[in-house]
Amino acid sequence: MMITRLCSEIDTLLARLIESGVRSIGEIAIQERFFLTHHADVESAGLQLFNSPLDARELSRYDDGGNFRPLKSAPSLRRGWRLGLRTIHELREALDFFYPAMLGTLLAHERRLLAPVHLRETLHRQSGMYAVAKKITDAAANELIGDFCRSDGRCLKTILWKIEPDTPVTSLPAPKFDPAANQLRESVPAIPLLCAEGCNLLVAAARRKVRGEADEP
Amino acid sequence: MFSKKQSALIIVGHGSTVNPDSSTPTFAHADEIKRRDIFGEVVCAFWKEEPSLRQVLHMIESDDVYAVPNFISEGYFTQKIIPRELELDGPITTRRGRTIKYCEPAGNHARMTELLLHRAAEVAPEIPPAETSLLLIGHGTSLNENSGAAVKEQVRRIAARGEFAEVFGVFMEEEPFVTDWRKIATKRHLIAVPFFVSDGLHSYQDIPVLLGLEAAPTQAASKMEVFRRNPYRVDGREIYYASAIGTEPLFADVILDQVAAFDARHAA
Repeated sequence: MMITRLCSEIDTLLARLIESGVRSIGEIAIQERFFLTHHADVESAGLQLFNSPLDARELSRYDDGGNFRPLKSAPSLRRGWRLGLRTIHELREALDFFYPAMLGTLLAHERRLLAPVHLRETLHRQSGMYAVAKKITDAAANELIGDFCRSDGRCLKTILWKIEPDTPVTSLPAPKFDPAANQLRESVPAIPLLCAEGCNLLVAAARRKVRGEADEP
Repeated sequence: MFSKKQSALIIVGHGSTVNPDSSTPTFAHADEIKRRDIFGEVVCAFWKEEPSLRQVLHMIESDDVYAVPNFISEGYFTQKIIPRELELDGPITTRRGRTIKYCEPAGNHARMTELLLHRAAEVAPEIPPAETSLLLIGHGTSLNENSGAAVKEQVRRIAARGEFAEVFGVFMEEEPFVTDWRKIATKRHLIAVPFFVSDGLHSYQDIPVLLGLEAAPTQAASKMEVFRRNPYRVDGREIYYASAIGTEPLFADVILDQVAAFDARHAA
């Protein structure tokens, strides 16, 4: 007989984190069973109410200025909404739209199955229009990451990779590399957004840097 | 329809860092397939958006995984980028107790013919096909001969059915070019369907200019406006311009067809 999985391991991880008192992920505050808001809206009145995990995809699509958000961990989540979810599974589905794959990535990390890929390796396998990105020097990459990946305004992920195994990124403060640190609000325990590998946006930025073009995040 | 409650489906899209409409059809097809409750898990993954191809396998838990590229044809992305980023060995990859089944791109399926005819009938319901030129518009590129092959195959299939007076494939970056339509299409009525997986700059701006529907790229309040002005009257002809074929809701069925085709091809 096939045994149906009653509760997924990712749902279980999320339930454990909630039970342990963690109430923050990225820019989102998780309130009792289970309401999500932008953390700056916890005390706000007149929020627009939503009640489906799918609403999370639309809420995370544009910033308050109407700009498209291809990088979901950019600290540009719009404000003014409150999303109510009925179960841990719905909460997980919503969080997978706000911060795609981040809970599963954390589970892999906790199980020591998450192997960070250093930037040189990521750049080395690029082809086509991105092949030129591998020409970036370590110094230029370090400088680029210091601006492009900074939690202050650019990306709330915690970086787990280095430029090369013996060449760490030195252009960002130590907490940027610490999964226990909240990238946004220092004193609040948070579910970390783990970056196991430089993203396509960073590769594209490295390409622009090599070609001497202006950064356009 | 089949049931795959122990399996996950990943629909792989290109995505875009600038155009939010690029991923919209991929998400819509995923929503439709999820609604039918066939797979245990249904997720999207993208080259240029999140979740990325590098992240997506962390967010699913099934040991049996189908990946269907939501691409219009075989080419650079389906043959090189997606296998590389998902670390695939071939059609079937086994890793850490998980099997990943890499299906053919949605646009490659024979049922695409049906979708194109459906879209043509939808955009010009009053126009008899027997008095109409049908134009399939592909991107085409000299860099990959597969790019235009899917369009040419559909032209062949639709022409063989004999419903339309004439059927042509035209391209943005290879011959015959979109601008050549006046030379090759002879009928007063013309239906133009972009053979693209999503709407974007090509279908909103580039193709309308190449067809002569617009003098210059427009900055309309709604980019969808370009599909709502049918018919366009150009040089004494009436042109009905459809949105990209990948936005067709029946595309969800084509994605499922590619899963079924994979199973049939790799049956034990």
